[in-house]
Amino acid sequence: MNSQTVQQWKRFKSIKRGYYSLIAMLVFLALSIFAELLINNRAILVKYDGNYYFPTYAGFIAGTHFGLDYAYETNYRDLKKHFSGQNENWVLLPPIPYSPFETNFLENSFPPYPPSISDQHYLGTDIAGRDIFSRLAYGFRLAITFSMILLACNYLIGIAIGCAMGFWGGAFDLLFQRLIEIWSNVPFLYVIMIVASVIIPSFWTLVFIMVIFGWMGMTWYMRTATYKEKAREYVEAAKALGASNVRMIFRHILPNTVSIIVTFIPFSIATGITALTALDYLGFGLPPPTPSWGELLSQGTSNLQAPWIVTSVVVAMTIVLLMVTYIGEAVREAFDPKRFTFYE
Amino acid sequence: MKIPILETRELRRYFPVRTGIFLRKSGDVRAVDGVSLKVHRGETVGLVGESGCGKSTVGKTILNLLKPTSGQVIFEGKDLSTIGRAQWRLLRRKMQIIFQDPMESLNSRHTVGEILEEPFIIHKLGSSTQRRAWVQELLKKVGLTASSIGRFPHEFSGGQRQRIGIARAIALKPKLIVCDEAVSALDVSVQAQIINLLLELQRKMELSLLFIAHDLSVVRHLSDRVAVMYLGQIVEEASSDEIYQNPTHPYTRALISAIPVPSPKNIRDRVILEGDVPSPINPPSGCRFHTRCAYSKPDCQRKIPKMEEVKSSHYVSCLRWRELPASMIQIP
Repeated sequence: MNSQTVQQWKRFKSIKRGYYSLIAMLVFLALSIFAELLINNRAILVKYDGNYYFPTYAGFIAGTHFGLDYAYETNYRDLKKHFSGQNENWVLLPPIPYSPFETNFLENSFPPYPPSISDQHYLGTDIAGRDIFSRLAYGFRLAITFSMILLACNYLIGIAIGCAMGFWGGAFDLLFQRLIEIWSNVPFLYVIMIVASVIIPSFWTLVFIMVIFGWMGMTWYMRTATYKEKAREYVEAAKALGASNVRMIFRHILPNTVSIIVTFIPFSIATGITALTALDYLGFGLPPPTPSWGELLSQGTSNLQAPWIVTSVVVAMTIVLLMVTYIGEAVREAFDPKRFTFYE
Repeated sequence: MKIPILETRELRRYFPVRTGIFLRKSGDVRAVDGVSLKVHRGETVGLVGESGCGKSTVGKTILNLLKPTSGQVIFEGKDLSTIGRAQWRLLRRKMQIIFQDPMESLNSRHTVGEILEEPFIIHKLGSSTQRRAWVQELLKKVGLTASSIGRFPHEFSGGQRQRIGIARAIALKPKLIVCDEAVSALDVSVQAQIINLLLELQRKMELSLLFIAHDLSVVRHLSDRVAVMYLGQIVEEASSDEIYQNPTHPYTRALISAIPVPSPKNIRDRVILEGDVPSPINPPSGCRFHTRCAYSKPDCQRKIPKMEEVKSSHYVSCLRWRELPASMIQIP
């Protein structure tokens, strides 16, 4: 590995809160990939009549199958109670045995239910009786996936166009500069509202709209970076060797601008999460019943008599955004070019 | 008469100056303004002049790193302005360049092995094992150890880095190498090593060198012929010995008298140039040097001097060279 990269990594590690935030974030991400096993109303493992069942991935299993008196899908929490006391039959439930879509009504009361350890609603339920922890976790997974896809698309377009602007310059550069300036001034929130009032936006339409109006940010940085790198002698040397434009861009210029790209990634992720949450909060985001932080936030703020809703989502958002920002801050510090500039 | 391997004819390279919000062209920086130069096979031509006189631009224009504004570059009898892209690719094998600052001219993200392998990859030569062997051979040729292959440029000293730059330039066995201030960034003892390396390679590979430098003493060791540039034009051209013993143009005299001589007894007539180099956007009328020339007469402001032959293969571009006092400069 390039020793500069090694140094940057060392520097990043030495910034403790950024480093630990990264580890925590990676753990959260890894856990969220396996969220179905940890937070679900389907059991991880059921042993019944000497057979093992994996309902998480096996899908629908009717209640009659396990000797219950109904033909709809088994309620595994009830099944566990039903099996209690039997040694040969048992159910292994996830730590939080609620799906984000499932409404759970307790007897003799209306939701929202406050946090309760005995009910395993550790953060309580929302006004529809859905477990908040479960919705938070799935909402996190959705938001992170959303902002990562958004980031990938934005960067792909932004880097390609920015790099082309810097590399070819001239009329192409001038044209795109003006185009981007005009395009940046389209109020994209209104566009989303208009679109959302016509069609119900799905995950991908939302990504699409946000990419259409979001790719411009990266072009400026890439344009300048490419201009700068292109004028340096190692690129001229490659040109003198007969290297093609493609080779010069992909083999020489882009690898040398990677620190700029990397520095922006955490902040872009934070922006993506915030944007999705804001849209969901306003009701222009993903359609219900998709688990989303924005939707929880709007529920929470309109139901302040159930303070656990708004508290959980605000705390969760604060923690995640803070961690992402800490990571970004540490990356920025580690890639600070001043550290690696030396004069001979 | 030998056919030169490289010839430039009235080569010009202007950089447009743009001002205002519509970036209208308001003038030109005449970095290179009519340079005619010949380099013969196996010969070293030194191109000297102070900073900003356009000598690096000449080098880059020859290699088409900058497109000439007008004039011709003729390489092995072919006019390079007429050839296509595919032919240029082939030509790249024959002409190479060594830059001043190897830290800048070597991609800091690539290892030495990757840097030296690149010329072969670009020209699709050899298999990967063959290329490896060639890289090893190149390292040996420039006096670096085989273990350098996996290391990065910044792990080397300045002289070693320049050796890497040289190795890259000779990888495709070129006929001509433009050395753009190739030793200017190095300290004196390392300069000598690099110069010796270049001379050795030149002998072995029958290279022609165009050696661009601002330091006359370096050029003297190396060059068969020397051309002196001032404000985008060549003012004097002669064989290396001739130009040091019999500098004719007042500018050349000033340059040569500026070579430091490490002797306390040395008392010389110093020709001290006054003032700054005039702007290449509005070069002085007539002889471009008249604003700083100790011998200038009113005529110099009007007439443009032509290249005149002082003696065989010694050319000077000065209106008054016949009238100038004999050179008082002792050769250090």
